[in-house]
This record gives sequence, C-alpha cells and structure tokens, in this order.
Amino acid sequence: MKRLWIVFLAGMVLAGLVGCAVTEHQTQEENWTLTLGQIQITLGTPAEPVVTALGESQGYTEEPSCAFDGLDKTYDYGSFYLATCPIDGIDYVYRIWFVAADVATEDGLYIGLEKGGAEDICGKDCFRNSNACIQIQGNSKRMVLLKDDRVSSIEYTWIVE
Amino acid sequence: MKKGKAAIRILILLTVIQMLQNLLVPKYVTQFREGALTGEYYANAGDNDVILIGDCEVYENFSPVTLWEEYGITSYIRGSAQQTIWQSYYLLEETFTYEIPQMVIFNVLSMCYDTPEHTGRQSQREAYNRMTLDTMRWSASKWKAICASMTAQEKEQGGMLTYLFPLLRYHERWNQLTQEDFTYCFHREAVAHNGYLMQTGVKPVQNDYVQPPLADYRFGQNSWAYLERIRTLCEEHGVRLVLIKAPSLYPIWWPQWEEQIEEYAASHNLMYLNLLEQQAQIGLDWNTDTYDAGLHLNVCGAEKASKWLGKILMEECGVPNRQKDAQLCARWAQKERAYREEKGE
Repeated sequence: MKRLWIVFLAGMVLAGLVGCAVTEHQTQEENWTLTLGQIQITLGTPAEPVVTALGESQGYTEEPSCAFDGLDKTYDYGSFYLATCPIDGIDYVYRIWFVAADVATEDGLYIGLEKGGAEDICGKDCFRNSNACIQIQGNSKRMVLLKDDRVSSIEYTWIVE
Repeated sequence: MKKGKAAIRILILLTVIQMLQNLLVPKYVTQFREGALTGEYYANAGDNDVILIGDCEVYENFSPVTLWEEYGITSYIRGSAQQTIWQSYYLLEETFTYEIPQMVIFNVLSMCYDTPEHTGRQSQREAYNRMTLDTMRWSASKWKAICASMTAQEKEQGGMLTYLFPLLRYHERWNQLTQEDFTYCFHREAVAHNGYLMQTGVKPVQNDYVQPPLADYRFGQNSWAYLERIRTLCEEHGVRLVLIKAPSLYPIWWPQWEEQIEEYAASHNLMYLNLLEQQAQIGLDWNTDTYDAGLHLNVCGAEKASKWLGKILMEECGVPNRQKDAQLCARWAQKERAYREEKGE
C-alpha cells in the first residue's frame, strides 16, 4: 500500500510540475515604437493612455473571440488603424497599420514610397523574391508590403504568446 | 486474501483520482458553454441526414430545429470554438463511426489557419483545443486530433499526457472551483440544440470591419491537405460534401480566399454556398439579426439562414423530409420543446 501512495504522490508532484511549467519568451530588444503626431506608441504596452492621447477616433469596432470574454478593439484614425487586445482585463496595443501616405515611420517608410526607397530603409535582402518584408524587434514585428513596386501596406504587430 | 485487499485498495485509489478529476475539470455548463459541444453529440448520434462541421460560424449561425420544423431535415452541428480544419477532419472521421449521413456541410473559414501556430494567441489556442477535444470520446480519431492540434508550447508542457489524464492539466483549478463544479461533477445538462448554441441578444452592426492586407492570400498546404482528406473521406463513405461560408462579417473573408474555394469546389464538382453573398435573399437585417455586431447571428438570424439553407438542401440536393417517421417526430418534438423554452416562446 505504501508503494501505491508513493506512486500517487509522485503523480501529484509530476502534475504540479506539468501544470506550473512556464515558458519564458523574452528578448533584450524593445518592441517597435512609433511616433504618430506627438504620441509615442509602443507595441505591447497598455492601450488606454495611447487611445486617450490620440483623441476621438473616426470609427471603432469591437471583435469578440469565439468563446472568451473581452474584446479586441479597432480604432480608425483616418491615416492609420490601431487595434488592441485584452489580457487579464487590460487592453494592450496589439497592431497598428497605415492606410494613407500622410503618416510615416520614424525611419521614413510611408504608403506609396517606391520600392528602392523601401529597400534602402529595410535592407535589400528583406524583399528578396517577395513582396513582403518582415522585421522582428523584441516581441513585435513590422511587415511592409509592396504592390506595383510601391509600398502598399505598413503594419506593426505585437507577437503575443 | 492479500491480493483481494490490494485490488480493493487500488480500486479505491482509482475512484478517488477519478472523482478528483471529475471535480477539477471545467464543466462548460454556464461559462464557456462552447466546451460542452463536442461531448453532447454522442447522445444525439444517429439518424442525422446532414452533419455540419466547423467553428462558431456554424454552431451559432444555423439551427437544426428550424431545418426540422421547416423541411423535416434531420441534422446535427459538430461545431466547436475556433475549430481548426484538422479537428473538423477528425471529428468527421469519428462521426462516421457513429452514423453515415447523406450530407456533410463544411464551413470554410478555418482554411485560413494552416497550422496550430497560425491560429492566433497561443494561450487561447490551448484553451480552444481543450474545448474541442476534452469531451471527445477516446478513439483513434481523438488521439490523432490531439497530435495534430497541440501547439509547441503544449508539447513542452506535458503534451498528450495531459489529455490522457486531464487531472494533470486542471489540478491547479482547486482554488477556482465554483458551485458549477460541484453541481455538475457527475452529470451535465445539455447547453445546445443538436449542436446549435442559441444566442438571443441583439447588438446591431455599427461600422465596417477592417483588417490589414495579408502578405500572401494563398491557403496553406496543411489546410488544403485536410480539405482534400475531408473530401476523400466523404467520397469513400458515399456522403455528399457541400462547402459553405457562413454569413459572418468578421474575420474578413477576402476575395482572394473566395476565388480559391470557388476554384476548388468547381474542380471537384462540389456545391459551394457563400451566404455572405446571399444576405438579401436570406433576409438578414444587421440591426436585428446579430447579437455581437455582425460576427455571429442571434436566433432570429440563425433561423433565417437555416430556412434559406434548408430550401436548397431539400430542393437542389434532395435531402428528404423525415416528418412522416413517427419515432423521429417524437424525438424531435422533445428537441423543439427545449428549443422553444430557451428561446422564451
């Protein structure tokens, strides 16, 4: 009987180890930060101060998930969209994407920029054999798309576990 | 004598472990009801002429009771929250061990998730996997479904073992237990109506949904492979496969995706119905027929979509009216009662 209980206890200890294992996924690098107007926005940071600073949006949608509580939210600021996602009741900056040429990244990317200009900024290799350049920084990524040899989309996304 | 005592002790130990497991696993009765859907099928298996498979776009947008009442079509929705195409395939494979329907209707949205890593936030993916797989009965199909579904993170944290022994996954719920866990420790109440999860609220569509453009609109190889397996599985069993895109406004169904599905359907002589393109014919009113601003239909919208779909199934696909079968009528009368009760009629 003792052996049985030892097996049982060992199982419970194993159960504890299995359930409590946490995968750390952190890098030293900071996530992408954008400056839009006078406002600095860092991917993966709380959205509330950013949304307040940006002022009233032109449009707004909420997207619930299939089953979970909380809403993904998308704010339309005319030249760009800001999407947030909820984690433990707090909305975080999840995605920003540009839709007009009157906003630019700090390194000079904007919608409509010619391919050569984009290659100068992102690096020639980034677009090799593809219309997309994806750059990872910290736990976030930037994706630049080309269409007809011009930048057609610039999107920043937080890589959330 | 010693052997007898040892056997009794083992039995007691196993019973205690089983009871602990029953207590600690989520019940999915009042919260996250979607998690109960897979398991509710087994009590309703058999005599379903139509099986619908897919994610929330099927279990919230179509009503089997309406299909029955309007056309005498017997159907069941084998849907689950964010069901991936590999899960659809294995659920279908399992379904065919219980019954061979005349028709399978597959909602194509999940084609956009090529692998477990493509399905969004990984913490949610694991929970979605649990909601689809935990209440699936053990079989080779379940085993394969788990293998296909686990994320890299799940594999690191116990993998298959936690599906075999859910206690390993849920032991830490001991301090989150609620009344529901005790009430439904040994029995569950049905949350759905032949797989349809009823929503009665109303929240009108306010604005158009937007998503950034994609770098590549081609569906992935894994998705295509599973769609082909679904098609072949149906073909082998003499079951007609129909593809649909449910009338949900978000996630956006890109035109490039539509083209690929149209092409696939045409090349395999499959019927493909995109209900997004039939909103006027269905009579959908986005002010009244949705409970979450256009992502899913409420019961009013689901009944409209089902009436539209049922007409096509009966008139163009020859799915029979079974209302002359007295036994079936009696069984469905019970389902209708429960449905009316939840609807508040």
